[in-house]
Amino acid sequence: MSARRIVVTSGKGGVGKTTTTANLGAALALRGKRVVLVDADIGLRNLDLVLGLEKRIVFDIVEVVEGRCQLRQALIKDKRFGEMLSVLPAAQTRDKTAVTENQFAKVIDDLAEMCDYAIIDCPAGIEHGFRNAVAGAREAIVVTTPEVSAIRDADRVIGKLNERGLPIRLVINRIRPDMVRSGDMLSVEDVCEILSAELLGIVPDDEDVIDTTNRGEPIALRAESRLAGIYEKIARRLEGEIVPFTQLNAPNFLSRFLGRKAG
Amino acid sequence: MHTSSQLSAGYLREDPLPAAPPAQQPRGRCIVVTSGKGGVGKTTTTANVGVALASTGARVVLIDADVGLRNLDIVLGLEARVRHHVLDVLEGKAELDDALVSDKRVPTLKLLAASQTREKDDVDTTAFHAMVDQLRERFDYVLIDCPAGIEKGFQNAIVGADEAIIVCTPEVSAVRDADRVVGLLGDRVKITLIVNRLRPALVRRGKMLSVDDVNAILRLPLLGVIADEPGVIVSTNKGEPIALDAASPTGDAYRKIAGRIAGTDTSTPEIPREASFLDKLFGGQR
Repeated sequence: MSARRIVVTSGKGGVGKTTTTANLGAALALRGKRVVLVDADIGLRNLDLVLGLEKRIVFDIVEVVEGRCQLRQALIKDKRFGEMLSVLPAAQTRDKTAVTENQFAKVIDDLAEMCDYAIIDCPAGIEHGFRNAVAGAREAIVVTTPEVSAIRDADRVIGKLNERGLPIRLVINRIRPDMVRSGDMLSVEDVCEILSAELLGIVPDDEDVIDTTNRGEPIALRAESRLAGIYEKIARRLEGEIVPFTQLNAPNFLSRFLGRKAG
Repeated sequence: MHTSSQLSAGYLREDPLPAAPPAQQPRGRCIVVTSGKGGVGKTTTTANVGVALASTGARVVLIDADVGLRNLDIVLGLEARVRHHVLDVLEGKAELDDALVSDKRVPTLKLLAASQTREKDDVDTTAFHAMVDQLRERFDYVLIDCPAGIEKGFQNAIVGADEAIIVCTPEVSAVRDADRVVGLLGDRVKITLIVNRLRPALVRRGKMLSVDDVNAILRLPLLGVIADEPGVIVSTNKGEPIALDAASPTGDAYRKIAGRIAGTDTSTPEIPREASFLDKLFGGQR
């Protein structure tokens, strides 16, 4: 049995890689998949905070690589998901050169024997940390926001992923439909055209994300939030289901877009 | 007293009566804009603070240290004018003067762009430091837009700086990363804080950290607070820094930050207020 190995990356920082990793992982775990989330941001880890697991870290990925603990010992189980969701934390006091690409890929290979999905939260940038994070991956999710700078960086990252032959799917994060309508923000259609990648999800800008992130509570667990449903759909698309994209109160451009892409 | 080498290299040929020998001219200030976490607004801050400082007549150069993922040129709307970049200068392929892009709107503002097709490991830290020192002889302010993270790009960006502006959003993850960067900067660097993307309504409802919450952890002198508002996204996408918009409260906040940096504004930073019903009615245009 071997898991799917997916890196979540973006080039630009702060577009929502960690939030996407945590919530997609949570949505897959709620659907009964065994998921391990790997924080590749050695030195500036945050995945533990977003999931509220920071106080439970004992070992980290650097200690696994250096043979100072077993891989299983370093995994933190998120009890809200039974046995289904665990996190392999990054080290906070080391830097990204503490792990080589081969060592990182070996950890992902080992994890792939234990779960259905290994999802790797990539650090910002395209340096050593990025190369580590993609080393063990077989698929990539590129997260971007509808901003010129984020799209330029995503484009650069897509080039790098193409060189490695990884299939790429796109999550467009923090769309504000009112700003798209007023012409102040790029539309989903614009972004997809520029990046020419397959669309996996559209996530609206929602203040619930700020609050739940600060509380360490994945929004996928907050059933009343519209984002919980959106991450569930992303999880289902990842599993191969054909799920229509949610209308974000912007029927004019989205209906045109969906008319072309859905199915 | 000055040496003969300074005389010959400095001013003898062109300037018959210099006010002071070059070695004694006050050096410009070098300020790095950094955060640890990406996407909190370093580039937007660099652009707007730079524009605001230069608008007062100060000579300002902005350096994009994000080699491989540059964006400062876009935010300033200067991407079509970039011909040479930092690595061309460091590797002797271009003269520094040829690489400096003049801003369209503010004549005393220059940009030194990063290379898009190279990587941060290509940048020689010592050479970068020497270039920054050279720029400090010619400009009043050298502002460096640091890349996210704490790797080589961060090390390069901070090497010549003796001041740092930490940009932090009111989020736990941003505060944690900022705190780590403060530790890495150490005591050598004078550090101040800009809290970016505050949503006053969320703070009131207890759904967002307040400026005090952020600074209870970071404990830094507060340079300013910037509201999360659509105008910033619009200005960034258009390449027109909001600090140039005389009618914008956010532009005003940046201008005050520039005044505090220059020492001409001694006011306490204001916390952005909630948009009133009338603001909403008129779409924030006042």
